[in-house]
Amino acid sequence: MVRAALGRAFRHETVLALLLAGALAVLAGQSGRFLTADNLLNQGRLMAEVGLASLPMTFVIVTGGIDLSVGSIFGLAAILLGVFWHDLGLWLPIAMVAAVLVGGAAGLLNGVIVTRFRVPPLIATLATLALYRGLAEGISQARSVRGYPDWFFVLGQGEVLGVPTQLWLLLVLTAAAAIVLGLTTFGRTVYAIGANETAARFSGLAVDRAKMVVYGCSGLVAALAAVIFVSRVSTTRSDMGTGLELDVITAVVLGGTSIFGGRGTIIGTALGLALMQAMKNGLALSGVKGDGTIVVIGIVLIAAILLSNLLSRDGNA
Amino acid sequence: MMRKVMVLAFGLALASGSAALADSPWTGGDNLPTNPLACDNTPGVAVAKPYDGGQPTGAPDLKGKKITVVDVPKLIGIGYFNATSKGIAEAAKELGNVDAKTDGPTKANIDEQITFLDNYITSGVNGILFAANDPVAIAPVLKKALSKGIHVVGYDANSTPDAREWFVNQAEFNGIAKAMVDDMAKEIGEDGAFAIVTSTFTTPNQARWIAEMAAYQAKCHPKMKWLETVEAQEDNILSFNQATTLINKYGDELKGIFGMTSVATPASAEAVTQAGKCGKIAVVGLATPNAMKPYVAKDCVKSVVLWNPIDLGYAAMYVLRAAVDGDLKPGAKSVKAGKLGELQIVNGSEVLLGPPFTFTKDNINNFDF
Amino acid sequence: MTVRAAGFAGPAPVRRLATTVESYGQELVVLAVIAVLFLAVGLVNPRFLSSTNLVTIFAGNAYVAVAAIGMSMVIISGNIDVSVGSLIGVLATISGTLAVKGYPVVVAWLAPLAVGMAINAVVGVVVAYLRIPSIVATLGMLSILKGGLISVTSGAWITNLPRDYLIAQVRVFGIPFPVYAMAALTILAALWMRHSRFGRAIYAVGGNAEAARVAGIRIERSVVAVFAVHGVFAGIAAVLFATQLQVIQSTVPPNLELTVITASVVGGVSILGGTGTVIGSTLAAILFATIGSSLIFLNISAYWLRAVQGLLILATVLADMARRRRI
Repeated sequence: MVRAALGRAFRHETVLALLLAGALAVLAGQSGRFLTADNLLNQGRLMAEVGLASLPMTFVIVTGGIDLSVGSIFGLAAILLGVFWHDLGLWLPIAMVAAVLVGGAAGLLNGVIVTRFRVPPLIATLATLALYRGLAEGISQARSVRGYPDWFFVLGQGEVLGVPTQLWLLLVLTAAAAIVLGLTTFGRTVYAIGANETAARFSGLAVDRAKMVVYGCSGLVAALAAVIFVSRVSTTRSDMGTGLELDVITAVVLGGTSIFGGRGTIIGTALGLALMQAMKNGLALSGVKGDGTIVVIGIVLIAAILLSNLLSRDGNA
Repeated sequence: MMRKVMVLAFGLALASGSAALADSPWTGGDNLPTNPLACDNTPGVAVAKPYDGGQPTGAPDLKGKKITVVDVPKLIGIGYFNATSKGIAEAAKELGNVDAKTDGPTKANIDEQITFLDNYITSGVNGILFAANDPVAIAPVLKKALSKGIHVVGYDANSTPDAREWFVNQAEFNGIAKAMVDDMAKEIGEDGAFAIVTSTFTTPNQARWIAEMAAYQAKCHPKMKWLETVEAQEDNILSFNQATTLINKYGDELKGIFGMTSVATPASAEAVTQAGKCGKIAVVGLATPNAMKPYVAKDCVKSVVLWNPIDLGYAAMYVLRAAVDGDLKPGAKSVKAGKLGELQIVNGSEVLLGPPFTFTKDNINNFDF
Repeated sequence: MTVRAAGFAGPAPVRRLATTVESYGQELVVLAVIAVLFLAVGLVNPRFLSSTNLVTIFAGNAYVAVAAIGMSMVIISGNIDVSVGSLIGVLATISGTLAVKGYPVVVAWLAPLAVGMAINAVVGVVVAYLRIPSIVATLGMLSILKGGLISVTSGAWITNLPRDYLIAQVRVFGIPFPVYAMAALTILAALWMRHSRFGRAIYAVGGNAEAARVAGIRIERSVVAVFAVHGVFAGIAAVLFATQLQVIQSTVPPNLELTVITASVVGGVSILGGTGTVIGSTLAAILFATIGSSLIFLNISAYWLRAVQGLLILATVLADMARRRRI
């Protein structure tokens, strides 16, 4: 079952890779500044936050769930970073770790609501979306925290060997996620849960624990992305990350992960992410305004899934 | 177990509510130092400061040549920024050698605004005009623009001074606060009670105004009573619902509403109209004329808006052109801005638009934006 | 669930009451929370229960309730529509533009219904015949509609609406028209879903698509139909939205789709499809308006408003889970 899923997935990835190549070619033709090393590395920097969050989201959606609260966890972690460092006086590295851990805890709470109380993930994370955002607003009391030491900005604004710091992080975590999902037992458990949860449970797989882990990671990584973002913009605000969930879900779904669960790969997500970012950037460079870009992305999303559906007419629907 | 969880949840909800029942000062204001003006008409003292803006490095010499400029406001799709965009386009047409366009996020979100700016930097524009969603968060990307030789001028909502060359300020924060509070005091009396409808508590300009308004009111109209501030984002119907709820809650006690955005003011005026309280509840605030015409015509609202956003955009464009041409250098005391004449430069690198502009029944029909 | 209630020992009418209570369980929970809030806040500040405030509560979210009727139908059929917010924005703009350009107001009122139906029928076709999951198709549609709206309007508001166009401000016996629309449409839709072939088909498709197909239900047609009907409701909601004030804001209220979806699911429509009623979603929309108003009347610090709202939603959802587990 997993082999068949992977087999079909690779066909979607191929379609996606071709689409990406095609898009890059077209966009490069429209603007000479698109395919420069400077621009591409910069885009890597800008897509780090959405990219990081879409890695665990792939796991979550493969299990047949969804996490709409990533944007709110992002905002909450950003605020807490400021609060821990400025108001509570913690040493900045400790504050960073603490903010990330709180994100993990928020994700675990999502997991608890989904597994222990059996609330469907869509509803559970819809409710926590409001709750976590509200906590961010309440705790911050609309104040921003700024004035971080210079070394802190290396994470979001600096480079290592010419490549933006967060891009290294994104690449490493993408590789790790791909290995875990594709090659480990845990990854197979995740696929099994998505394909048929009852069967997975009866097969003795630790379904609830796996779910707790994926939702926990979703929160953890969203918080990590938030720390990077704060470093990139040098301040904290309670409305950071608003709308992040839609971008992340679009990237994951574009990458071929089925919303019903059981199907999807990290490579697909990475390709989907690259395609989205390429379009946003390339279209802007060709002179298309924001509204036009939004329309194109919508069309490409539908077209990509359509194309992949047409090409996979082997009865595996 | 489930029961306990639910009871806990409800309890937490109500508890947090009552905890918040404690005395709170004017909410919606930020906690930066305030500087209220004198209660009479003594003008504020303009502090002479050395130039504190940032400068582009390696900017090409484009004096007199055609330049491309992008305007990235806080968001697109509200009357206020439609007006500033119009002003920018007007100035560009007059100058003849500027290719200007407006592009921006559909929500007032700093994340998206930064991405827009970044893309335009890469695409090689010569000049950027901006109205910031957050003064500090926008600084890194603006500094990047400066480092690539792009000229940067802000309007309406500032960034940190070193991230832009000049900032066109519609009016000083304390000047706006004084005008609004004085207008309200005139309409509702020295011991009237009022409420505020704002966008969000994290919007920098609104937060600044509210803080200054609080300081000025405490100083010059101490018997006026602040009741409550509600948030309504940039949502028309939400603003209307919030304003109506305020009217319902306070009944006759509420004598005036401040609208802090071009969305909140017409919605509050509509709430007052639909509640049948025209003339009994005053509405004072910032708005674009078209949205307010029906209320001003019926005398529901006496005076509106405090400056002309079209002029603001117009001035910003002229300032940018002057900076590109080298006609406006650090240390200058004034700048020529087309039909607006000579504009004063204060606070080191701020260009002052001029005295506040009030739309009333007599002049509102002369404007169409 | 129903099996247990049938085993409830007692006279027949009581058993039937128990079954009814159970099948409308979530709706009753929402109603209970509304009642508790009315009571609690009314005690703290009696002005909360004044007729003007009650009118505000019921009329304020009426357009959300109407949109949620269509959304509930879509979710019951096993699908979802995340583009409804942008759709309402587009339809409201079309409606307002027609009104300003001098077309008869009836045209301005009915055009959004027709356009909404057409646009969503297309989405339905994409979902049913092209086999694209509804979340993907509507995510794409959301982008297309949102971008398209900004492109066409450039964000300009629509002002100068003719007085007789403003149907949402009409009052009959002191109650605004949207309240009547909300109530009437909810009841009609609920009856229709319960007693018509269309309704039964939707529940069947959402509950178990294969079984529905075997039973002879044309799934594809039903899906297209439910999306089209949802488009009509979105059109009605758009008219209510557009005529509430004297200007139409051309940018869509952020998060409108999430609010509508939340109203449906909190109201008891299961995201797995096949269960729930439109009455629940209307009650949930009223609940949200009640919460919003309560928080202002209770003087809850504005900074904590969103958190309290989130907690209340979570509590309502957990209450339903508790109810189901206990039964």
